[in-house]
Amino acid sequence: MGSFRLGGMTLGSLFKRPETLRYPFEVKEPPQGLKGHIVNDVSRCIVCGICARVCPAGALAVDKKARTWAIDPFRCVQCASCVAACPKGCLTMAPEATGVAAERYDVVLEVPEQPKGAEAA
Amino acid sequence: MGFEQDFEPLALDELHGFAESRRAEGWRYVQTLAVLTDEGIDLVYSFMKGGHLANHVVPIARDAEVPSISDVFLAAFVFENEIHDLFGVAIKGIAIDFEGNFYQLANEAPMTILSPEQAAAREKAKKAAAVKAAKEQGVAPEADDMEAKLAAMDPKKAAKVRAAMEAKAKKEAAAKEAEIEGKLKDMDSEKAAKVRAAMEAKAKKAASRAEGGE
Amino acid sequence: MGKATIIPFGPQHPVLPEPLHLDLVVEDETVIDCIPQIGFVHRGLEKLVETRDYNQFIYIAERICGICAMGHSLGYAETVEELMGVEVPKRAEYLRVIWHELSRIHSHLLWLGLAADAFGFESMFMHCWRLRERILDIFEKTTGGRVILSVVKVGGVARDIDGAMMQGILATLDGIRSDYSALMKTLLTDTSIKNRTVGVGTIGYDEAVALSMVGPFARASAVNYDVRSFGRGAYGDLADFQPILDNQGDCYARVKVRCLEVLQSIDIIRELAAKMPAGDIAVAVKGSPAAGAQASNVLEQPRGECYYYARGNGTKHLDRMRMRTPTSQNLAGMATALKGCDLADVNMIILTIDPCISCTER
Repeated sequence: MGSFRLGGMTLGSLFKRPETLRYPFEVKEPPQGLKGHIVNDVSRCIVCGICARVCPAGALAVDKKARTWAIDPFRCVQCASCVAACPKGCLTMAPEATGVAAERYDVVLEVPEQPKGAEAA
Repeated sequence: MGFEQDFEPLALDELHGFAESRRAEGWRYVQTLAVLTDEGIDLVYSFMKGGHLANHVVPIARDAEVPSISDVFLAAFVFENEIHDLFGVAIKGIAIDFEGNFYQLANEAPMTILSPEQAAAREKAKKAAAVKAAKEQGVAPEADDMEAKLAAMDPKKAAKVRAAMEAKAKKEAAAKEAEIEGKLKDMDSEKAAKVRAAMEAKAKKAASRAEGGE
Repeated sequence: MGKATIIPFGPQHPVLPEPLHLDLVVEDETVIDCIPQIGFVHRGLEKLVETRDYNQFIYIAERICGICAMGHSLGYAETVEELMGVEVPKRAEYLRVIWHELSRIHSHLLWLGLAADAFGFESMFMHCWRLRERILDIFEKTTGGRVILSVVKVGGVARDIDGAMMQGILATLDGIRSDYSALMKTLLTDTSIKNRTVGVGTIGYDEAVALSMVGPFARASAVNYDVRSFGRGAYGDLADFQPILDNQGDCYARVKVRCLEVLQSIDIIRELAAKMPAGDIAVAVKGSPAAGAQASNVLEQPRGECYYYARGNGTKHLDRMRMRTPTSQNLAGMATALKGCDLADVNMIILTIDPCISCTER
């Protein structure tokens, strides 16, 4: 018959904390640095379009004339290439993942005009 | 044990005999792959012994008949079926032959179909390489002379001269841009966007090259 | 004298993790021949080099397979670096190897769970995957992704691991080691498991060499081949690396080789963490591969040796990128191992080659 080899682990798990979380009542805190969704600080954006060019999934659309920056969060693969390529450092990756939704939507941001003096900073 | 790799050509009619000699000498079969080229298709067969990875490139025409090496190395049947399906190369005598049904594909030989953008990009790259080769042989004197003069000059004066050159270049570029903007207004909007993107890319490249030079 | 029947096995099957179809020619419960068929997840990823440049393609290379994600991004980056003649800083090499060894541990734990599930030992499956969750938490903390890491880029790595995080990783690995020893003892000494795996699907040394098998599948048949022993990159700084071999060649030997490889990987990570040099984590890569330049590369993924080939054409898009995965090399071995076994052992034998059909078909 053999001994009950996993006995130690099984009996111990009666008293230890379970490894699972009772989701959705307990939600795991996402660690810092988790690749969740892209955030654009429009006060520093110069609408150059470099982020849209490096995106491997084609999720970003930058319109220089209309001064808008748009991202399709469902196309984004959270690779952070745009964050690394942005020359002004206005893109960051926030830890919360894009939630489920019934319909796809785009996040469109208006980029305000930069005052001339501030751009040199 | 070190690792080294090399690429060597091999003729198609020597292929089967070569595979047999490799097995007799104790080489291990690694893989077979196909690459699409302008002239036809290149098959690359790889073998390894010790730490030495030997890749052999066999150039063939697209409709050539290739003998299978799966009678020598059974593991090759996977790659030969794949090459037959994806590139349309006729390989005779595969040990387990799926006869075109290995992958269920929508098009015949899809890896030989080049999208128009890719074909255009490759043409452009070839032209740019030809121009560069021609230029290297017929020396471009102006750029080299200026750099030599600047190096010999007083550093402050050199900086002033460089600034003046940059201003001149910027003014010329602005004039050219105004001209092109005029043209773009008349052009179709999609084409205009493409031309604009190409111009921006060129400007960015020029800027980074200038930075790299300094 | 029995009658031969053909039983179609797969592509939907509760035991197989991925779609694989086999036509089993069966005579009275004994399999006498087997014809494999794949092609259910062919996505044509190699053709995407035409529309994504060499920096963007690494994210596609990662998504070829979820289990081998780190391996493919690492192999692709190394191949393109060889093509363009880029030298990666030492610290980046160490970090890449540490993440790759963690990937190997998670892949083997995943496989051990599936192997236990194949013969019905579901609680072992749950325990192995519970330990695997801790590795995925390490990935999440250090790279930002659980399965698709997106941390390797051409020229280095995108993130660094500082001293405190490294100590945390080593502490987690020690915790895993103590729990894992109990699981390993069960897997290797339990009588029911031995009844199902000893003597099943045996492949001898000569046959393994003739079929060009790779990976733990081959090392269980005493084929001494492991790419890590070439000592490239950070593997060259290991004091002593010996591939784990076993000469029985049956399913039990393959389970044993993979169990021991997990412990070996934990030791490798511990050794490299102690020797990690300071420095940059990436170099900037400019320009494009030269026209007609070729490069090849081999890498020891959890499933075996993976071969990469790249050819440039002067533009930012590669001319050809090819990944030959270990499972495609082992398909011939699997078809041979299945001949002569019982119908009930088919699951076990297919799983012991550690099939990763997504990688095979790209």
